[in-house]
Amino acid sequence: MALTKVYDAVTVFKHLNGILNVYKPAGMKAKHVRNAILSNICKGLNEMKQRELRKLPKDTPLLGTGTAADSVLHNIANNEDLSDNILSVGPRYLPRDIRCATVSSLGDHTSGVLLFGINKGIGQSGCLRKNQLVRVYHITGCMGTATENHLPDSHVTVRSNYRHVSADRISGLAASMQASHQRKMFELCGVDLQTQEAYELACKGLIRPSDDSQPVIYGIKLIRLEGPYFTLELHGINETQEYLAALVHDMALELRTVAHCSQLRCVRHAHFDVRDSLLRHGWHLPGIMKNLRQQRDILREHPELLRQERVELHA
Amino acid sequence: MLKNWRGIGPVLTRAYTAKAKRSVLAQDKSKIKEYTPKVTDSHVNRVYVWGFQETGALGLQTSVKKAQERYTEMVHHPTRLQFSNNNEITNVTAGYGFTAYAVRRDDGETLFGSGLNTDSQLGFQVKGNPKDPANLDVIIYPTAIKLPRVQGETDEDMQVKSMSAGRAHLVVLTHNGTVFTLGNNSYGQCGRSIIEEERYSKSALIHRIPQEDICGKEDELVHVECGQDHTMFLTKSGRIYTCGWGADGQTGQGNYHTAGQITLIAGDIAKEKIVRLSCSSDCVLAVNEAGDVFGWGNSEYGQLDDSEHAETQINLPRALKLTKGIGKIKDVAAGGSFCMALNDQGLVYTWGFGILGFGPFVEQTSRPQHLLPPLFGRNDFSNATTVVSIGCGVFHMGAVNSDGDLFMWGKNRFGHLGLGHKKDQFFPFKAAINGKVSKVAYGVDHTIALCKPYL
Repeated sequence: MALTKVYDAVTVFKHLNGILNVYKPAGMKAKHVRNAILSNICKGLNEMKQRELRKLPKDTPLLGTGTAADSVLHNIANNEDLSDNILSVGPRYLPRDIRCATVSSLGDHTSGVLLFGINKGIGQSGCLRKNQLVRVYHITGCMGTATENHLPDSHVTVRSNYRHVSADRISGLAASMQASHQRKMFELCGVDLQTQEAYELACKGLIRPSDDSQPVIYGIKLIRLEGPYFTLELHGINETQEYLAALVHDMALELRTVAHCSQLRCVRHAHFDVRDSLLRHGWHLPGIMKNLRQQRDILREHPELLRQERVELHA
Repeated sequence: MLKNWRGIGPVLTRAYTAKAKRSVLAQDKSKIKEYTPKVTDSHVNRVYVWGFQETGALGLQTSVKKAQERYTEMVHHPTRLQFSNNNEITNVTAGYGFTAYAVRRDDGETLFGSGLNTDSQLGFQVKGNPKDPANLDVIIYPTAIKLPRVQGETDEDMQVKSMSAGRAHLVVLTHNGTVFTLGNNSYGQCGRSIIEEERYSKSALIHRIPQEDICGKEDELVHVECGQDHTMFLTKSGRIYTCGWGADGQTGQGNYHTAGQITLIAGDIAKEKIVRLSCSSDCVLAVNEAGDVFGWGNSEYGQLDDSEHAETQINLPRALKLTKGIGKIKDVAAGGSFCMALNDQGLVYTWGFGILGFGPFVEQTSRPQHLLPPLFGRNDFSNATTVVSIGCGVFHMGAVNSDGDLFMWGKNRFGHLGLGHKKDQFFPFKAAINGKVSKVAYGVDHTIALCKPYL
């Protein structure tokens, strides 16, 4: 079938369903991202060709007055309902007409992959949320200063020297933290290590936590160390911005220095990669439609994202 | 005009919003106090130890008084050995309640040891007045073992090439090919003739054997391996020489005699080039270049032969039928009642009797079964991870994967699995060690890991 260009807002709205992968900038609330996306969708839809005006019932006799109002009467004589006109009822599409839900929210200081379910995609986004998928973060810590809430926007509390910290020290610590988190993973799935169940779970590899109450970290590794900044790659479930910031702070204390978390970026959410996510300049209707299509292909490639029957984890 | 002014004027943007943010910007940073924690100096090589401490084998204690206090008898978690902070440790080995460290340092000492010294397996160690010395039966902190040198032997010649420890003896092979044996010789495990009623305590005797006396001039020794009370020497050309206790056939000499004479053994390995040799008590496994497994010694649990009327003691090296069909074997390990093998695909096979790693219900398998790769850290985050080396003590097993993680399972005698508790572990579980594990010495009740720091 040949591709045809669509000018019609109704057709576009009909296809505005699915999962949307947006790149959330840091310093912007997830709610604001959502509002911006929705209003941009509406703006795009309202600029397109709208549907025909409603027709009035036929053969309503009208008399011309011979004055300036005659042109209006002519329109009415066309059988178009003027009360349906955009000029009288306002724009056809409003943000509240579009249903939208986040899969899991990101904190204010976090940037990166943010998934939305749009219209009929809300069911899918609910499934993704329930399936507890792994998110991958790149976290940059800044050594030398500690802040009150471990994020850069609060008072500095302590300063320290960090010259003794080397890459091997950080990665060594990261590995031991990873090991203790993988042990915690066993505790959270609620089995005794000395039982057959524990053995069977261990044979499956990594497993998901039984509920969404506790953050679980599966992998931590150092990927860069420059000056006071170090960057960790972290795989986790149920994590929050505050938890990750506190993790950076605790790591620094173990390294005999102090640090705060200067950047947080979610680079992957299950198979939804940061490279496919929609940057801010692309938050317009064509971009969003294209992105919805891409994410649909990803979901089709990996049907297990929606129907998860296993307890074991796959990145 | 008004329009024009708007275009030129500065655009007022404010990234921060409230009073709180303004107070952050206004903070006087010069008044913040400096945090200067104590930093220990780091050393290139690291040694982690755990398990039973009362014998002093861990070498963690520095004060005799503290060592006698309560709650110090065992160490559940891998703990960094302070001795390795100041010394470059190149090799470790664990015996029954004692440990030997090969060290490279400026003052020429190459061998250190700590732990039980009841049979002088750590050399002649005394304290107090040199005129009236008191013997040390337990050494709590690594101390130098002085290897006797002939004239012209340099520090480099005395570097340790390979070493191994048994129940109460220690065998060291140095770079110039000299073998030193220390400790108990009641079964001839030190490679010298047995002396009736020899007193091993407070003995200053260190037996010295040049490698020409063992394997001739054209060959050289590459590896020594000790069982409970016997010793085996592996040469470059793949020959094996043994001596010591042979009541279960573990010397492989074709008899059950006990002899201090070091003898070349034949059997099925006569024409094979052996590259790996493993033993922890009285069952021996060996691998040749082609990846075939040979075994001899105790086979009470069917480790070496699972046929119906199999002998329980095999006194000649025999090619194992059990390990046929599990691929080319790269590494083997023989424990007290079980065996392990690692094939070229990185799969770990275990068989025999005991905690084999298949959960609490499997206590015995006669055929080798492989443990699933996810147990050794293979998952979607590290999907290329394979096991690279295996080893076992008498009661526990371990495997190191390509990420340098150590996985331990088996009986947890005195916490020697390093998992932080005393309960047995029925499947491989990662021990938390802060470094990439390069070599592990499995003792009978303690474990020592030689680690490289990350990156």
